[in-house]
Amino acid sequence: MSISTLTLLVILFLDLLCWVWVAARGIRRRSWKTLGHTAAYHALGAATAIMILPFYWMVATSLKDFESANRPVPTWLPLGTKYYAPPPPAQPDEVSMPRPGEVSMPRPGEVSMPRPGEVSAAANRSAGPGGSVAHGSVAEGSTAVGEIEVGLIRAGNLTWSEIRRKDSVVVAPVKRLQDQSAYYTVKGSDVRRERRPQWRNYVEAWNAPAKGNPENPVTFTRYFWVSGVTSLLTTLGTLITSILAAYAFAKMQFRGRNLLFYLVLATMMVPGQVLLIPNFLILSALPDYSFGLRWLDNYPALVVPWLASVFGIFMLRQFFRGIPDELWDAAQIDGAGRFRYLWRVMLPLSKPAVITLGLFAFLGEWNSLLWPLIVTTSPDMRTLMVGLQTFNEEMSGNSHLLMAAATIAVLPVVLLFFVLQRFFVAGLSRTGFK
Amino acid sequence: MSRIGSSHKPRHFKRNLEAYAYLAPAGIILLVFWCAPAVFSVFVSFTNWHGGDAIADVKWVGLENYRMAFHDQRFFKTLWNTVNYVIWSVPLTLILSLSVALLLTLKIRGMALFRTAFFLPYVTTWVAVSILWSYIFQQNFGLANCFLEFLDKHLHLGVGPLKWLNEPRGVIEMAATWMGQRLGLLSGDQTVDFKHPLLEGPSLAMFSIIITSVWRDTGYFMLIFIAGLNEIDPTYYEAAEIDGAGPWTRFRHITLPLLSPVSFFLLVVAMIGAFKVYVPMMIMTPGGGPSGTTSTLVYFLYEEGFMSWRLGYASAIAYVLFVIILAMTLLQNKVIGGKVHYE
Repeated sequence: MSISTLTLLVILFLDLLCWVWVAARGIRRRSWKTLGHTAAYHALGAATAIMILPFYWMVATSLKDFESANRPVPTWLPLGTKYYAPPPPAQPDEVSMPRPGEVSMPRPGEVSMPRPGEVSAAANRSAGPGGSVAHGSVAEGSTAVGEIEVGLIRAGNLTWSEIRRKDSVVVAPVKRLQDQSAYYTVKGSDVRRERRPQWRNYVEAWNAPAKGNPENPVTFTRYFWVSGVTSLLTTLGTLITSILAAYAFAKMQFRGRNLLFYLVLATMMVPGQVLLIPNFLILSALPDYSFGLRWLDNYPALVVPWLASVFGIFMLRQFFRGIPDELWDAAQIDGAGRFRYLWRVMLPLSKPAVITLGLFAFLGEWNSLLWPLIVTTSPDMRTLMVGLQTFNEEMSGNSHLLMAAATIAVLPVVLLFFVLQRFFVAGLSRTGFK
Repeated sequence: MSRIGSSHKPRHFKRNLEAYAYLAPAGIILLVFWCAPAVFSVFVSFTNWHGGDAIADVKWVGLENYRMAFHDQRFFKTLWNTVNYVIWSVPLTLILSLSVALLLTLKIRGMALFRTAFFLPYVTTWVAVSILWSYIFQQNFGLANCFLEFLDKHLHLGVGPLKWLNEPRGVIEMAATWMGQRLGLLSGDQTVDFKHPLLEGPSLAMFSIIITSVWRDTGYFMLIFIAGLNEIDPTYYEAAEIDGAGPWTRFRHITLPLLSPVSFFLLVVAMIGAFKVYVPMMIMTPGGGPSGTTSTLVYFLYEEGFMSWRLGYASAIAYVLFVIILAMTLLQNKVIGGKVHYE
């Protein structure tokens, strides 16, 4: 019985005790409320576990290494494993080309026994300071004398204790896993394993996009920069245009007010997908340096179409209408103009709505995939989402790196959520009405 | 003081001008990038514009693109995939989120923690979450198959490892096959084959994506349901309890009717959003999925417009999508809208 099954049984048993106790209390006091609450806790707890488990799995996998992440029997602990085993027995031609860290062992029946001096010379040549040899590369982390880092072959379905108990395990030096001639066998109990979280996966994932593209090395730094700039610019633009337009619709009387507002509403009905192709055609028809900017495959194409938002105008208008007009009358008496009134009075009163709009505008642009995919082609104009998608295609199979990249991408927004939780929740609840 | 012709007086001119100045920034952007393209798109859909054509080469073809869509097998398959997605994901999400919202109204301790936990999947970016779930649904070393194996070992369900995102067979068909085999109605190798796409259900690949979407969206809908539930006046419940109504009756006759505006709103919003889905499909099953079973309308649009560069055809598809969404919304309004109970 494995540890995980045992843990499960213990938890289930304790749970059963809990139920029995609550039921007994309920029978005695003739009230079923606690029983109901316990049931609710169970249901909620199970559902919460389902919600959170994938995130734990994402972070845990990001800390494993390639082999642990891709085992048919997954491990729950966020640890990457390295295996160490005694080196393979020396082959005749290897006495002259010693592999680092190895001690060449004389085999029975060999005619010329290497003299002690020769052995140490051979060993010295390979395991010198730093241990670098011309023909090969140093086995990382080779510790105890003669041990090298190996990869296990054909051991995917076995647990560690099973591996330890086997009489013979097929291993190969980690740098030569594809080379069938390098396979050799050792006793199961001779294999040692070292487990620790592989934090370097994050560094590797961060820099990985640059490897695929030597002429244009781009890392996640660039992706974050592009996403950050576009999101900030669109948020600013949306806020400015929406505040001004909503104020006009809410508080000003002018000719064509109703007509224009219905036009805005009608625009809201059109799904964004209808606009993709024509917007792309417009932008690609613009000659270079219209208005002094290069548009396609550059920031303007990513930002400008989203500088206004019908949803923003709508939401702020509702909010502004709730602010009483008496304030404006009072301000007028004091000699304030409209803009001053907007800036000094209405905006401070509308802080929650404005912050919520800003938050959702930011997230909308941060999370958008299709439009940036359409208007950018070069790697250094990729937003984070586009970069993630390319990363997923290029690195498929490297689950530990994929999960590291996913965690990197998820972290900023989750942090933002915890800081601005109030506005998230309030803003979403507000959209439920009207 | 509205005499005829008063709007032509100079004092209104200054007022109008000021208002237009405030509207101008938003107005220009919206006009250039929302209104004009919407109209322009209609024109493009009546042409046979291929990417890279000079404007002079573009020909007017009238309704040809729309006619082509009606005869395009791939388009109908895509449409059917999208409908499948909507039919399954929307009810599942609504029911789950309502159940969780109801549980959370019991005012037990730790409510805020549960709420945050449920909402967390919605906050995280969809692209990253799709990558995570495509790893979970991995055939050889994903959590999903590991979980199935665990169930098989301990509950002897006999389901076995599934191909998840690579499985083109329909879910209902697979479930029927499994049940038939368990009940002994089918011999070892026989499978149920409905031979009609309408009965097969979504493919397992599409169903995996549906699971991911339900996992993600439940938190969002739950929040709105909670807000709606909190608006219900507790005196209704007290009165019902005095009259001897049990919890189920209270739910059916108080909660549901008073929640109907919120439910209806969410139904419409969820449906519209589900018709426009494309992110999980692009990340988890690039290339349209096994036998093209996870290609949705927006993905088809992207494929036709920006990979095959048939811009005219793609514009027509976009408008068909628009019309479908509009029709469904109006239909829902008519059929269910009347039953919504407004205070």
